[in-house]
Amino acid sequence: MEHTVKAFDDDLAALSGLIARLGALAASETADAVQALITRDADLAQAVVERDRTLDELEIQIEEAAVSMMARRQPVAIDLRRSVAAMKMAGNLERCGDLAKNIAKRAIVLADMELPGPMLRPIERMGLLVSQRLRLALTAYAEDDLVRATEVWTRDREVDEDYESVFRELLTYMMGDARLIASSTHLLFVAKNLERIGDHATNIAELVHYAMTGEQLVARPKI
Amino acid sequence: MNTLNPTEGFETSIASVGDAPVKVDVRNLNFFYGGSPALKSVSIPFVKNQVTALIGPSGCGKSTLLRTLNRMYALYPGQKAEGEIILDGENILASKDLARLRARVGMVFQKPTPFPMSVYDNVAFGVRLYETLSKADMDVRVQDALTRAALWNEVKDNLKGPGLGLSGGQQQRLCVARGVAVRPEVLLLDEPTSALDPISSAKLEETVTQLKADHTIVIVTHNLGQAARVSDYTGFMYLGELVEFGPTNQVFTRPATRRTSDYITGRFG
Repeated sequence: MEHTVKAFDDDLAALSGLIARLGALAASETADAVQALITRDADLAQAVVERDRTLDELEIQIEEAAVSMMARRQPVAIDLRRSVAAMKMAGNLERCGDLAKNIAKRAIVLADMELPGPMLRPIERMGLLVSQRLRLALTAYAEDDLVRATEVWTRDREVDEDYESVFRELLTYMMGDARLIASSTHLLFVAKNLERIGDHATNIAELVHYAMTGEQLVARPKI
Repeated sequence: MNTLNPTEGFETSIASVGDAPVKVDVRNLNFFYGGSPALKSVSIPFVKNQVTALIGPSGCGKSTLLRTLNRMYALYPGQKAEGEIILDGENILASKDLARLRARVGMVFQKPTPFPMSVYDNVAFGVRLYETLSKADMDVRVQDALTRAALWNEVKDNLKGPGLGLSGGQQQRLCVARGVAVRPEVLLLDEPTSALDPISSAKLEETVTQLKADHTIVIVTHNLGQAARVSDYTGFMYLGELVEFGPTNQVFTRPATRRTSDYITGRFG
């Protein structure tokens, strides 16, 4: 149902629009960073690094919009929860951007290093999984979809399991061939960054749940 | 938005107050102005030494409910209450001694209503109806009441001045002082700040918070921010029905019913 004061709905819609933009950017930053790494594309990686500034600016814009709405409209109940969730989502998404930027920076370094093809496969798989989770969480937000949000939340362990297996796999490469230690270490950090992006996707799912129900999801399912 | 299922539009949610001591317990209260029901089977507990806010659109019955608590309605013919209002174990709807009831349950109205007499006499007036105090005791009582109403510092040098000479905000606090001077156990406030500027409203809100220590307070307000600020419990009424009752913190962050959510977020109708 609409607010009696229409401008309130406009403010909320503008806030959702900003989140959607930041979300889309964070998701493509993640996907592009992994893509740059897999295809050894230093130019694409550089583009990811440069785009990060836009995400930082959007985060500030969202925070200002949310604070302004709290000051002017004094939101309560679901409107208050949405405002608070928007601020926290902005923080989570900006952080995803930072992590993607870090992956891109490593992709630039790795583009010049010798790297056996099979070493990248687990990263590619993990990148796909994480991007998918992030997009799913953002769709849940855009569509007020509790079912999707809960799905992202309950499947948190998939990324963790993936990370564990990538970790072991890279360790095997390092033990097998000392020349691969430098590149494997970079890839370990990439995997860790992806795992963290997965955590942010879970946080976003929790925020969607909180905004819609007022209840906090606690005790995230861990292995 | 798909946060609530469609049936919730008709639901009510009355939270339990747990072990909190209940000062006034309203049970299945029906109220009629002539033939039409203004309150429909309202049951609500007012917890001792806490502030309960009653909110809802005009005509929802919140002021009617307030007026039943000291049987103000008995002044008018054709008005009738059914059910129970238990004040410390006694059903006040069956009470014969209305003067004593109103000494126990005081009321402050929307518009300041100082009497055309001095500040001192405005406060002493109610006390003289119920008690005979020496001059010294009365002085103490008046000072105490004015202090509780957060007005003492502003009027202590001009107690003989006319009550009507005070500003609107001061007049309203004078009425609060008059109300608390008779030491009521329950204090009813009917939109006490609707005619006041923001600073005077803030002072009155501070007064309400301080009065909680000695009184059980019920406040009717159209100002939702005020309800959120001063109350411990909130009741949302609509069309004579109590739709939701619960801790204020919960009602304003996580209302349990669709109707409450729509009303407090400004989506009503």
